[in-house]
Amino acid sequence: MISMLAAQSLSVRRSGQEVLKDVSFSIEQGEIHALLGGNGAGKSTTLLTFLGFLKPASGSVHVQGRDVNGNLGAARQAIAYLPEAATLYGHLSAYENLHYFLSLAGTETGREALDDALDRVALQPDARNMRMETYSKGMRQKVAIALASLRDTPILLLDEPTSGLDPVAIDEFNRLARDLAEAGRTILLVTHDVYGACHVADRIDLLQNGVLVGAFDRPEGMDRIDTEAVHAAFAQHAGA
Amino acid sequence: MSRVLSIAREESRLWLRSRLALVTLVIFAVLLAAVSIATSLRMSEEYHHRSEQQALAEETFLSQPDRHPHRMVHYGHYVFRTPPPLAMIDPGVDAVTGQSIFLEGHKQNSAVFADARAGAELGGFQGLTAALVYQLFVPLLLIAIGHGVFIREREENTLAPLLAQGVTGNELYAGKWIALAGVTLALLLPLAIVSAAAVVRGEALLASFGVISLYALYLFVWCGLILLVSALVRSRALSLGILALFWLASALIVPRIAVESASSAMPAPGKIETDLRMQADLREVGDGHFPGAPQFQQLRANLLIQYDVERVEDLPVNFRGVVSEVAEADLTEVMNRYAEERMALEARQARFAENFGWLSPVAAVSAGSRALSGTDLAAHHRFLREAEEVRIDYVQGLNRVHVEQLDYTDDINRSLNEEANRRTRMSAENWNVLNEFSFQPAAAGERLTQAGAPLGMLSAWLLLLTAGGIRAARRMQP
Repeated sequence: MISMLAAQSLSVRRSGQEVLKDVSFSIEQGEIHALLGGNGAGKSTTLLTFLGFLKPASGSVHVQGRDVNGNLGAARQAIAYLPEAATLYGHLSAYENLHYFLSLAGTETGREALDDALDRVALQPDARNMRMETYSKGMRQKVAIALASLRDTPILLLDEPTSGLDPVAIDEFNRLARDLAEAGRTILLVTHDVYGACHVADRIDLLQNGVLVGAFDRPEGMDRIDTEAVHAAFAQHAGA
Repeated sequence: MSRVLSIAREESRLWLRSRLALVTLVIFAVLLAAVSIATSLRMSEEYHHRSEQQALAEETFLSQPDRHPHRMVHYGHYVFRTPPPLAMIDPGVDAVTGQSIFLEGHKQNSAVFADARAGAELGGFQGLTAALVYQLFVPLLLIAIGHGVFIREREENTLAPLLAQGVTGNELYAGKWIALAGVTLALLLPLAIVSAAAVVRGEALLASFGVISLYALYLFVWCGLILLVSALVRSRALSLGILALFWLASALIVPRIAVESASSAMPAPGKIETDLRMQADLREVGDGHFPGAPQFQQLRANLLIQYDVERVEDLPVNFRGVVSEVAEADLTEVMNRYAEERMALEARQARFAENFGWLSPVAAVSAGSRALSGTDLAAHHRFLREAEEVRIDYVQGLNRVHVEQLDYTDDINRSLNEEANRRTRMSAENWNVLNEFSFQPAAAGERLTQAGAPLGMLSAWLLLLTAGGIRAARRMQP
């Protein structure tokens, strides 16, 4: 079976520094895969490389079996991306932002579908017509998550998706992610939230200083990965 | 294409919803409208005023009583340079060169200002023209609203989502370009209205269209520059600083250097020095008021032989008139030589300065604007040449009356004999030798040719900046 996302011996340099070193992993369809690590671990760099915003110094990244290098357009068409601290446009309302970005992606979506997606991220109905410059960070994040979920793409790359969300909204997000995965969509999310990652992901790769230092799978029949084991590994490598 | 238009629409919506951008746009729209109307009214008034002055001058000349024709040569006449219709946009050299010339025998007077009325009425603000606002201030507005057009996407973290939707650098660039060009076209509306008014006043459609196209091209150059800088740098402050610096250099420093360089590279001899040299040459020609001067002895001898007579009194023509006619022709040849030398030098200096359009779009557009409006140095030189034609025609026409209709004996005795003096007064009907003068701009095709170099420079600027902008936009990363 062809992996939806794969990194093979991936190394990336930014500003002369090697920020990813010989990283390899693959993600199958319907899987939620989390890259966990501290600040500067190389998590966001990994996502940007899948999107073709950064080029590998060595190794390669593949989307649906095709090397991104040389198939950039197809790769971006297959991916919905939620950047870290996505603000979208402050002068537009939630509806206008969603409509605009979806029209750019060639996804025609009616008001009902927009409302459905915004309901799922629990954005209050009376805020949806307000300009997003009046939103809190969490409200903006909810709209960005709704946007990613509305894109008709098989793959979602989510950079710190729960940043700024309150606990209730995080639970909503986890449910949404699970639903999307069950519907066959593949999710690669990056986070430094050990607890959140353990609850939502099928697999966690622990990234430290650009190197994969550990991997944790959700045991068969369990609803989450062992938080304590991941936390211990995280602390150990952060201390090292 | 729909993506490009969506991006353009969104950019425009941002400006419309941004109070600062909207207020700035409204202020500039009002400024443009006010200055366009003021310049139009001023130049329209100038046109009518100078046309009236011209008619009055002709009427005054023709209404002179019977008198000696040489007194009419010295009585003189005025010609006025009426501003062409497109001077409503760009009065060009009108404010710095004279607009009227006193024509008289034996002299080529400099153009002088018709009056200082307009300047006094406007409290000195007559210098603020529609052309100046478009050349200097509209780029500032475009900089103000456009300097962060790409940077904002980076700073607000919307570039990554945009590119992740599959939007390419080309599409992003095209969308932003259309948005900025849309503002530009809206700002060109007052110019288009004044150009249309110029057509109603008799201007060629080609010239009016040329002016609008020139300014559109010029402002698109600024759009290209703004987009390029915004795509290349990562902070709004830096982008604003670079663009403001370029504006300063392009609008104020380079044009000044251009003028100074032209003067240094092709220095013009001083007026006093030139006048002294010319006076020396004119003295060699001789003064036509003194037929006995050595310069005219050969002419006298030739005439006596030609008509086979012994004395000038026996000539069938008035010898004094012939001397006046010949002296005027010779003086004119000398004066024209000096005038042509001076105009050729000025034209070379203007061309030299125009080449600075390769360094400054402002220098290019100002040269092109004056050429297309018919208010450039070449138009002023044409006015001087046409005025000189009027002068030599009427002076020689009067000299011909002197030669053919006035008896030589009466002529030389007119101070001694009242009856002879009466007979030397020629009929006022002879003053019809004066041709009506109406200064018209050069044909639109000719003006377009003169504006060819500035148009070429601006096209090159636009191509380079657009190519650079597209390249920078393609390489943009979140």
